[in-house]
Amino acid sequence: MSTATVKPKAMIQDNTRCIGCRACMVACKSWNDRPADHTDFFAGEGYQNPRDLDANNYTLITFNEIVTGAQPDWVFGRQLCMHCEHPACASACPTTAMFKTDLGPVVFDESRCIGCRACMQACPFVVPKYDFESFAPKIHKCTFCADRLEVGLEPACAKVCPTGAITFGDRDDMVAEAKRRIATAPGTYIPEIYGLEEVGGTSVLHLSSVPFEKIGYRTGLPKTPMPDLTHRWLRMTAPIFAVLYAVFGALNWIVRRRMRHQKSEGEHP
Amino acid sequence: MSWRIRFTWWDKTLLAIMAVGAIFAFVRFATGIGTVANINNAYPWGWWVGYGIMTMIAIGGVGFTITALVEILGVHRYHSFVRPAVLMGLLCYTSAITMLMVELGRPWMVWMVLVSWAPTSALYEVGWCAFLYLTVLALEFAQVPLERLGWARALRILRAIYIPIMLLGVTLSHLHQSSLGTLMTLIPHKINVLWWSDNLPLLFLFSAMMAGPALAILEHLAAARWLGFAPRMDLLAGLARIEAWLVGLFLAFQMNDIFYRGAADALFSASWFTVSFWVEIGFGLMLPFVLLLMPELRESRNGLATACSLIIAGVLLHRLNVAVIGLRVRHWETYTPSIGEVAITLGITAAAIFVFGWLARILPIHEELPHLQTRTHPAAQAASALRGAEGVS
Repeated sequence: MSTATVKPKAMIQDNTRCIGCRACMVACKSWNDRPADHTDFFAGEGYQNPRDLDANNYTLITFNEIVTGAQPDWVFGRQLCMHCEHPACASACPTTAMFKTDLGPVVFDESRCIGCRACMQACPFVVPKYDFESFAPKIHKCTFCADRLEVGLEPACAKVCPTGAITFGDRDDMVAEAKRRIATAPGTYIPEIYGLEEVGGTSVLHLSSVPFEKIGYRTGLPKTPMPDLTHRWLRMTAPIFAVLYAVFGALNWIVRRRMRHQKSEGEHP
Repeated sequence: MSWRIRFTWWDKTLLAIMAVGAIFAFVRFATGIGTVANINNAYPWGWWVGYGIMTMIAIGGVGFTITALVEILGVHRYHSFVRPAVLMGLLCYTSAITMLMVELGRPWMVWMVLVSWAPTSALYEVGWCAFLYLTVLALEFAQVPLERLGWARALRILRAIYIPIMLLGVTLSHLHQSSLGTLMTLIPHKINVLWWSDNLPLLFLFSAMMAGPALAILEHLAAARWLGFAPRMDLLAGLARIEAWLVGLFLAFQMNDIFYRGAADALFSASWFTVSFWVEIGFGLMLPFVLLLMPELRESRNGLATACSLIIAGVLLHRLNVAVIGLRVRHWETYTPSIGEVAITLGITAAAIFVFGWLARILPIHEELPHLQTRTHPAAQAASALRGAEGVS
């Protein structure tokens, strides 16, 4: 599928249409063969269960109690891999076990993984998770159902969503559609598409009725690709190597020449 | 030659610490990382990476700093420090690699770094450089046992390639010491503003350079005491003066960096981050800097030992602050190292010290121990590399 005609895909997560049924979570577990797990209720903001993404949960609907108008109301949010246009996780991976495909998904190839967990450390959305209890641990995160996309299907979560909160298509179309929704119903949406510019753009675009930080999203992220931060240093590696080696070699040559002179002067005063 | 030594009480203590570490390492491999370590999804690295890898690599900088001082800057007075420094470097890097084998989730796949090229990754560069530099250190140090064994032909080859190999080692060190910092520049959203900086690569490189002479001084004092020779206080005082410069310059660089990027407000905010920062700066840089400025302390064993221990501890805290303590992911997520994590790192460190003590008693590493110096071997007459001034002919 690596032809130039392939158009990168994207997904709209329209939180205003979400009813918190968690069918997406069930479909995700089902498609990705993740086992059920025992969870406990926790103290703190958010009422979802489990609290956070983990090795068995690649997506999560967050339940947030927000005062809208006169009384508190449920406002849902969703966590999943954002499938960045310029993924920090892939740039951090020392073996290219994490990489972005032409269709848009950022995927993980366990056959190349050494288990350094640099991708987990790097991700600005704190998405990749690990199964620390395993003998051969793997990185676990949403795959954008890359295997389904390859054969022309939509992601499992988008397929099952009963209210149209998840819309899947070409990224260009999805950006246009998200803008159209905000423009046609300005009272329903805050005028912001989460993922349009965050860390250089992502393949998941979130819409919301309340500010994103209120429903558990990480805000204040840079608008530039994260890999730029390391790239500006790493691209200088080869020239720096050459210059340093030459400078050190020259200094060493001077030092040895000086030593030779001193020695011969000592022998023949 | 004999490879055997008589075990002293500190050999036995080190062996006991190694045994405890080995038990926890066995549990880690028998039951997985999760049962031994507290590292979690929010803090996937923790103490193992902060101490066992990042600090070990930083203080392993002693190898390239002393080598560069003697061979490249030509300060041949300190040539007797080169062999201990190269051995310490070799052992620090071996420790870091050992730690990596425990810490990686899939250590049997580690060769993938050399096969599956990822030039956008700082960790990839660190992996390659550290792998090459470990080879360089081994080639540099191999001369010492070969001298003892009297393998003239192998020695001739090693000495012929010594200069380019030594230059390669110093260059690679500059690259991967800084790349460890580059690695951390990727996560400005997690590291506290006190430590995250565009200049982390330079901060990591300079602090490794600063750790080098400090560890060399500490080693010389320790070896003098435990192996029984008179420490060269004149040389130590000179190294301490160089060290004072390095500490002062690093302090100026780090503070300047903080003010330049507008993080000065955080210096006096009420948080544990601020406390950890001032402990790092106050005890790891300011105090040893003042101590090293005093001539009478530069000439006292206790003064030098105190100042240099503080510097090493300061470098450790800097690495921990950048990679563990200064990290805040989400407010409910926490991390404290487990007993198992600490025990394994202590075991590896004890093993490094044990091997150093063993080799220092059977090989010509310290010039101050005449009974271990090999008689001038025919091969050693031509060019005795790793011998600084003597070696140049």
